[in-house]
Amino acid sequence: MAEIRFAGYGGQGIIRSGIIAGRAASIYDNKHATMSQSFGPEARGGACSSQLVVSESKVLYPYITNSDILVAMSQAGYDKFEPEMSEQGMLLYDEDLVKPKQLRGNITAYAIPATRFAEELGNKIVANVVMLGFFTAITEVVSHDAMKKALPESVPEKAVELNLKAFDRGYNFGLEAAKKQGDSKKN
Amino acid sequence: MKADPRGVLTGVYYIDGDVAAGYGALAAGCKFVAGYPITPSTEAFEAICHRGPQVGAVFIQMEDELGSISAIIGATWSGVKTMTITSGPGYSLMQECIGFGAMLETPFVLLNIQRGGPSTGVPTKTGQADMMQSRWGSHGDYELIAIAPESPQEMFDYTIKAFNLAEKYRCPIMIMSDECVGHMTEKVVIPEADKIEVEPRRLYTGPAEDYLPFKPEPDLVPKMAKAGDGLKLYITGQTHDERGYPVKDAEYKSKYGRRLVDKIRLNKDKIIELKEEGTDNADVIVVSYGISSRVAIKGVELAREKGIKVGTLRLVTVWPFPDEKMSELAKKAKAFVVPEINYGQVVYDVARCAHGRANVVLVPHGGAGVHNPNDIADAIEMAAKEDKKIEGLIEFKTRLEKSVFEGGFKLKE
Amino acid sequence: MNSIIDALDKGIEMAGIARKRISVPSDIPFDPDAVKTLGVDYFQIPRGRAIAFGTGLKLGNPDLKVIPVAGDLMTLGGNHFVHGSRRNMELLVICVNNFVYKNIGGKPAPFTQAVFSPYSTFEEPFNFPHLGNSCGAVYTARWTALHAEELAASIAEALNKRGLSMIEVLAPGPNYYRSIDGIESELLQFYFNNSVVKNNEDPRNVAITPDEKIAVGKFTDKERPTFIDSYNVQHSKMLGDKFTPHGSPPKVEKLGGKNG
Repeated sequence: MAEIRFAGYGGQGIIRSGIIAGRAASIYDNKHATMSQSFGPEARGGACSSQLVVSESKVLYPYITNSDILVAMSQAGYDKFEPEMSEQGMLLYDEDLVKPKQLRGNITAYAIPATRFAEELGNKIVANVVMLGFFTAITEVVSHDAMKKALPESVPEKAVELNLKAFDRGYNFGLEAAKKQGDSKKN
Repeated sequence: MKADPRGVLTGVYYIDGDVAAGYGALAAGCKFVAGYPITPSTEAFEAICHRGPQVGAVFIQMEDELGSISAIIGATWSGVKTMTITSGPGYSLMQECIGFGAMLETPFVLLNIQRGGPSTGVPTKTGQADMMQSRWGSHGDYELIAIAPESPQEMFDYTIKAFNLAEKYRCPIMIMSDECVGHMTEKVVIPEADKIEVEPRRLYTGPAEDYLPFKPEPDLVPKMAKAGDGLKLYITGQTHDERGYPVKDAEYKSKYGRRLVDKIRLNKDKIIELKEEGTDNADVIVVSYGISSRVAIKGVELAREKGIKVGTLRLVTVWPFPDEKMSELAKKAKAFVVPEINYGQVVYDVARCAHGRANVVLVPHGGAGVHNPNDIADAIEMAAKEDKKIEGLIEFKTRLEKSVFEGGFKLKE
Repeated sequence: MNSIIDALDKGIEMAGIARKRISVPSDIPFDPDAVKTLGVDYFQIPRGRAIAFGTGLKLGNPDLKVIPVAGDLMTLGGNHFVHGSRRNMELLVICVNNFVYKNIGGKPAPFTQAVFSPYSTFEEPFNFPHLGNSCGAVYTARWTALHAEELAASIAEALNKRGLSMIEVLAPGPNYYRSIDGIESELLQFYFNNSVVKNNEDPRNVAITPDEKIAVGKFTDKERPTFIDSYNVQHSKMLGDKFTPHGSPPKVEKLGGKNG
């Protein structure tokens, strides 16, 4: 079972990230995935988060107790949700937007300039999808194929191509990062 | 009867509970929805506005909730299955016509996505504090059925069940969901139409001049009619006889008013749905409903890790209340633990049925969030250790309450 | 009320509409025998909800002709009337203006006339036809209950209008006044004698005031798309073949009598 927190600010597609990953896991990987959102005034510009619990069996308790994975797209989101992280957890963050403090326990951190990559691709609105690609490569909670299937049906038709590109960019960067991390562990 | 394929959006979806309830209504054959959007129920209304016109269901955004519920009752009497959707203050406004619907024995479904109250409360966050309102909210004596789903799949399944119960017992059905379930996204499987059973309206088919709109069948439920069939319906919110004509005397009030409550009370065994697990040898039984039953599972697991014998009783239907079941369990268990997102509502019915035989512990929550499972575990442990019979309700002091006002308000001398 | 039931009876006959197609939701209790005589379906609904309930009846089965007869129209039912008119929901609203709710001890209602309250009243009454007309009703008229023929003709005409029609009827409720000898007929006669027929008068000018004669007649008669028309047009445009228009297409029915 994996407890995942996506955190950022309103407008970054944080809730959508949870839905896409949840859809990929539950529909295309045949796992069970429960997504809950923090909703309301917070969703308009302020702090925003979604939580996703992915499990091989039925998700009984639907909320995060200790997150295994924190995907942080804003400093405020990182600050707010870092304390709930498990000491064995993984931290994925946008390196231009989040400056993590000293890592606790065995937490491993992976950085990506997701928003910058998105801008390079032509629209920073897909930063969350770059991050999702990165997330897929690093965490392996959701399969690459499932994400590729879930993505097109989760975004507007005319934006499918851009989103797939964004995903690949993040995914490839993630593979590299995972390899580096693995190498450094070996050394 | 099998569902009409037109309304059944067969497939596998990743949707939230609100949307699932909307799809459930369409699958059940709902053809008319009137509502007034209100957080956190809006997505359900949106789902109807989006898919309804494609499958022959009509929606209207009314001027307010008073109008919405009046309109669906009118539409039911024109012959279609109907639903309205609301939350918080909207639910309060609908109370007038819930009693009206019950009095006219009108089948309809009301989806209430509970939020924090009273008044505007916390519009975007959860609560379970409308439970007693769903039972007693309109003036006068009546009975209805309330269902509390705990997942998006259940929102779909139990919305269909709600429509079926409405037709079967000719009464309003409350789906007492909450923001957590409404806004929770999970996989929802919508089967083929021929896998979905729907209850047809029990329409009168005899000669027009013999029709009595409130003459009970053997199960106490009268045959329904619809406007436009030449039956010269006289239907009134006044207490009425079998013809529908107003009556005023105490003996008639008693006779005709009584059936409104008895048609539910006497059919209780067929209506009530419970999910019971591990209660046979349990010292403590956790009684819960809706989102709290999912949260309680974690607490139960934690308590079991400590070796405590815990069982669970989930009230899928909260009203009518399972008096007999609860009384029977009270003879076997030491205590009931009742987590609910309010300061004590359904727990009072648990206590009533415990008859002082078992202790009753309330784990309260003020809303805008769900219980910390550790509190439920601690309450279970506390209840398991208590060997004395405690009179009255025991209120567990939760971590949240301890942290915000040091374990409770006290009057100052 | 009997005069209104008589007028409904005549109006429905003149309009040539099958009685079983007609539903009457009302917050005024009708006598069961009167309903059987009319041959319609009748619903006594909570105060003020006649238009909302009627909206459901109409949308549930667009073939019905729905005649909300409203006593608490502009108080409890005010918003339903405003929005029903705006939507142009196909309803014929009979607004029974009985001036005083004598059954609740003669307390002034929002359109109470001064002389009929025990200690007089100080509030301005509503100008119903003006309100209905402004909100979008396609037909507005006002008659006293003694204008039996004009009222029946108006009902017949309005029943064949497409959209929300509103007829205000000045009528003291007989059940309420019966206890006061003679007051019912006296009042009816008073309204009748103090009214003046002003067909096609601008609805802005037909407010009921203590100093002027009461304007009666037909004030509004226009055409606008109904709620169902707009619903069908919009969804056909957006959904194409996926959408089946609601209700049967409009057909012209036998026109009723003309007023004035």
